[in-house]
Amino acid sequence: MKVLPSDKIREALNILAGEAKVYAPMVQGDASGYFQWSDNPVGELLLDTLNTYMSPKNIVMPQTEDMYKFVAQGKDAQVTEVVYAGGPRIIFGIRSCDLQALHDLDLVFLTKGYEDEFYKARRQDLAVIARACYQPGPACFCESMGVDRLNPQADVVMHDLGQQDFAWEPKTPKGEEITAKLQGILVEKDVTLPQAAEMKTKVDITGLSEKLAGMFEDPAWDELASRCMNCGVCTYVCPSCYCFDIQVTTRGDAGGRFRCWDSCMYKEYTQMAGGHNPREFKKERFRQRFLHKLQYFNERYNANLCIGCGRCVIMCPNSVNILEVITKLKEVRLDA
Amino acid sequence: MHDHNHECTCEDHGHSNPLVPTMVKVVKITDETPDVKTFYVTTEDGIPFKVMPGQLAMVSQLPVGEGMFSVSWQAEDHLQFAIKRVGLLTEALHEIEVGQTLGVRGPYGNGFPVDECKGKDMLFIGGGIGLAPLRSFIKYCFKHREDYGKITILYGSRTSADLCFKDELFDKWPKEKDTQVYVTIDNPEEGWDGHVGFVPAYLEELKPNPEGTIAVICGPPIMIKFCLQSLEKMGFNDEQVITTLEMRMKCGIGKCGRCNIGHEYICLDGPVFNLAQLKQLPPEW
Repeated sequence: MKVLPSDKIREALNILAGEAKVYAPMVQGDASGYFQWSDNPVGELLLDTLNTYMSPKNIVMPQTEDMYKFVAQGKDAQVTEVVYAGGPRIIFGIRSCDLQALHDLDLVFLTKGYEDEFYKARRQDLAVIARACYQPGPACFCESMGVDRLNPQADVVMHDLGQQDFAWEPKTPKGEEITAKLQGILVEKDVTLPQAAEMKTKVDITGLSEKLAGMFEDPAWDELASRCMNCGVCTYVCPSCYCFDIQVTTRGDAGGRFRCWDSCMYKEYTQMAGGHNPREFKKERFRQRFLHKLQYFNERYNANLCIGCGRCVIMCPNSVNILEVITKLKEVRLDA
Repeated sequence: MHDHNHECTCEDHGHSNPLVPTMVKVVKITDETPDVKTFYVTTEDGIPFKVMPGQLAMVSQLPVGEGMFSVSWQAEDHLQFAIKRVGLLTEALHEIEVGQTLGVRGPYGNGFPVDECKGKDMLFIGGGIGLAPLRSFIKYCFKHREDYGKITILYGSRTSADLCFKDELFDKWPKEKDTQVYVTIDNPEEGWDGHVGFVPAYLEELKPNPEGTIAVICGPPIMIKFCLQSLEKMGFNDEQVITTLEMRMKCGIGKCGRCNIGHEYICLDGPVFNLAQLKQLPPEW
């Protein structure tokens, strides 16, 4: 089997970065996430932790993204440029859970009547080098959300061999192309793939979506939502939260529209001109987030929107835990 | 009625990117009420895109902002938007003059089921600015008059000054074949000799016959709720009652998230639903 030796990883990334924008798990100051690699990268490569704080969704859905430029002067206005950030991209080392989330984003942005052209520009030339997960952490529960953590659907799958050597397994023609570029780097070796450790955190979501369809007005939401502060951190770190706002920036007569991450945790998100707000209170916003993750998305796309990465569980400042929420929702007895 | 064609191409939507506006010129502005104006917009080549009654379009005034409005009429050579002054964008829109360039993108949403209503008697129930979306369907019925039966229009607003489209309400529409127009205002007013009272109460007085009739309601949420109850009492079944929902919207194509009710996106799957469909949704509307 082909192996990417630990002392050649930087060289491999440098080669790939010559032909595409390469995103790798890195630490930048206090933050970790998937940042662009170069031969003089900002930050340190991060291969010895499970999940980065920030998910890789920024690669296809940056926190802010230009849409188009315009000039407006007096009675006249025109769009001067539509901004597409196309071109080849490679994501290196993405975990199975985050990759599953990327597939959820594809469902949202590329199906159901309209393709989102801005998303498509970033997505269509994206090659994925994924990393199978043999040693899950205590907050990981991707298996419960249907993720096959040892077999991510990627162009290349890497398997940890210890000491940051990786077995390298191309899975698609695109993966073979990348492999060919790394001919002088990859070595052929007899290897034994590691034994996968058991994922200890589990939750059974069988029938949950169906049950929740009858729980919109259940009093359980009051207690569940009580600890939530609507800070929105769960939505920002979530690899599959995709809601966005469209805003405008101006300088003199020139300006541009851009979009940026938004959050269902905020009142303004659904605040209408004229005053009406269908999700004015905390409980309503909390319920929206969890029903979207656990019911609505399943109904609309037949897929789980929560992929069990555990980021929201770790990051919530007030210990709202989706596993606990699921358990409590399951415990509620509904009158027949 | 909502299995609209999800396989449409971007070209059908007038622009290769459904999130980028087409520039239009405002060619006429009319005052409907003290806080409602109708804007007539067009491009050099005519209408920016084809719209069916009840569909939506995003109107933007660069650089102020953009907002989703129902198209209150698609003429041969222009689109009309009746817009009430309620927030920042609409304040700005009410300041513009003829000749102003605006952006529009769309059309969005399913629109009214104009084909399924063929052969039916039509009962339109509107309140306030809610007549704007209804008007697109009402005028469509008049344009295809032979396709529809009796037409009844029940419309109310707070005061007589707040009645939209007055020349059509009092002059044009009552002259159409087989058409009854009933107008009411909330409180008595000097010089008003028409009906006084809320729309749902007037509806109960009029007691429309549900047989072969489709009721289309649009107005403030509280009016809609009471009218739905009244219609149910009169024997209208859930498939015979149609209304439109309103949520905050940004993208118009079911991606940005905020306009959902349950798993439906109002900008894409709505805004038009019949009562049977509404009852399937969580009560968040």
